Amino acid sequence: MLKLLRLEWKKNSMSSYFKGLIICIIGIFAAVALMAVGSGDEKMFLDYTDFMSLTNILIRIVFIIFSSVILSRLVIEEYKNKTVQLLFTYPLKRKRIIFAKLSLVFGFCFFSIIIATFMMNIAVYFLNPMMNLFEAPVEILEMVATIPSTFINAFMMAGVSLIPLYFGMRKKSTASTITSAVLIGFLINATVSNGDTSTSLSQFIIVPTIMCLLGLVIGYLSYYKIDKVDLT
Amino acid sequence: METVIQIHQLTKSFKGVETVSNVNMNVKKGEIYGFLGSNGAGKTTIMKMILNLVKPTSGEIKILNQTISTTSYQYLSKIGSIIEYPEFYDRLTAKENLELHCEYIGVYEKVATEEALRIVGLNGVEHKKIHEFSLGMKQRLGIARAIVAKPEILILDEPINGLDPLGIKDIRELLLHLKEKLGITILISSHIVSEIESIADTIGILHHGELLKEVRMDVIRKENMEYLEIKIDDAKKAIHVLENKLGIRKYEIVNQHCIRIFEHDISQSQINKELILNNIAVNGIEKQQQHLEEYFLNLINGGNQIA
Repeated sequence: MLKLLRLEWKKNSMSSYFKGLIICIIGIFAAVALMAVGSGDEKMFLDYTDFMSLTNILIRIVFIIFSSVILSRLVIEEYKNKTVQLLFTYPLKRKRIIFAKLSLVFGFCFFSIIIATFMMNIAVYFLNPMMNLFEAPVEILEMVATIPSTFINAFMMAGVSLIPLYFGMRKKSTASTITSAVLIGFLINATVSNGDTSTSLSQFIIVPTIMCLLGLVIGYLSYYKIDKVDLT
Repeated sequence: METVIQIHQLTKSFKGVETVSNVNMNVKKGEIYGFLGSNGAGKTTIMKMILNLVKPTSGEIKILNQTISTTSYQYLSKIGSIIEYPEFYDRLTAKENLELHCEYIGVYEKVATEEALRIVGLNGVEHKKIHEFSLGMKQRLGIARAIVAKPEILILDEPINGLDPLGIKDIRELLLHLKEKLGITILISSHIVSEIESIADTIGILHHGELLKEVRMDVIRKENMEYLEIKIDDAKKAIHVLENKLGIRKYEIVNQHCIRIFEHDISQSQINKELILNNIAVNGIEKQQQHLEEYFLNLINGGNQIA
């Protein structure tokens, strides 16, 4: 399994995506920080929680889309270019090949959200005193308290990031994979940030959970009968 | 001789239409088996079924005495293949593609990739990306990829498509070399009949998904030797003359007015002269030979008159 992951990594030169990851993180921070600083005396964000809610939304949208790019590279393009035919003439279980690809997408989305959130927290901690992003000072404990929810959130988004597979595989199209990811990303996060806190909290748990399960089911369906499928 | 690929009553239908029907074939160890058939005859489908890319509707395939089920995959390590157009990872170089292939198969020798590239004449361009390659170069690289892991069986679907005459010659020599020196069994398909003719030991002729004939090349060659066809008014009398005066023993009486001579050391004019001297009217004398191509065309056109 590890070997398959390594080969997929090498084949698609995944290391080059780290540059993209860094650029995305800087971009998101710059955007939110500019809003905060630009709002002048009437502060846009009251405190850390306020600031991070917008940041988190942006992180989620960006990395769902980013993951769909990787998904289309790893899975959709392989089918589109018919290299999957080559892949299936190797003495390897087809299920494991696809499973490796999907785990890579899942893992990428999961870890990049965690890394991005982590970096964002560091940036806020060190830059807030200088840039005065929001009034209330940040406590380390406040940050630590968000760790569990960050992990749950990242896991859910990683599940969601597999949903575009369904749309992409229908016509083996990169464009529809990414388009569906954009739509899903906005759809979910619009729901989350809607309404007052009490109602949005329940939505925050249920909607992404369902979507996450849906993504995992789609991922599973894509390979459970792959042994019986003809490749023409 | 050991049979490497055994196919029994193999049938495949796509959406109710049979593309391969009840095919039985046997590929023996160390031979080159040529697949002949017009476009859409089912050559590629059979090859894909051997590689388990397409699942048979019914029938059985045995590779190296192991029956292939829908989930078999281990036997694939012994097969090198090119199916249809050779596909590569465009963003990687030729060498990276081969190395990746080796790793997936589970053999890794640095020398092997260099050797394979050298064999197909691609040394010097191994660091070029695939999207800069021409069709012929891709075809060569496809062959390199098929042989790099030293398989026991090679399955080549139209491997000489898009190659220049020199390339075709190289590949022909390479295949013969692989067969003779390494004892690799090769299943090859092509629509260029003369190419198959020059290398194959056995040919299988496919037409509309049916295997019309599986025959050894030497049998065909024997059946189709060069011969003289002589049209005369009295065959019996003519044979009597030829036997006694010229000592011809190998002949065939087609009918009352036509005989065929299979001896090559007696010239046309000699025969002609002898027949006329013995008062046998010669209406025509002609040298004839049948090639695999005619044999093939005769077969698929349903002609039963072969040579």
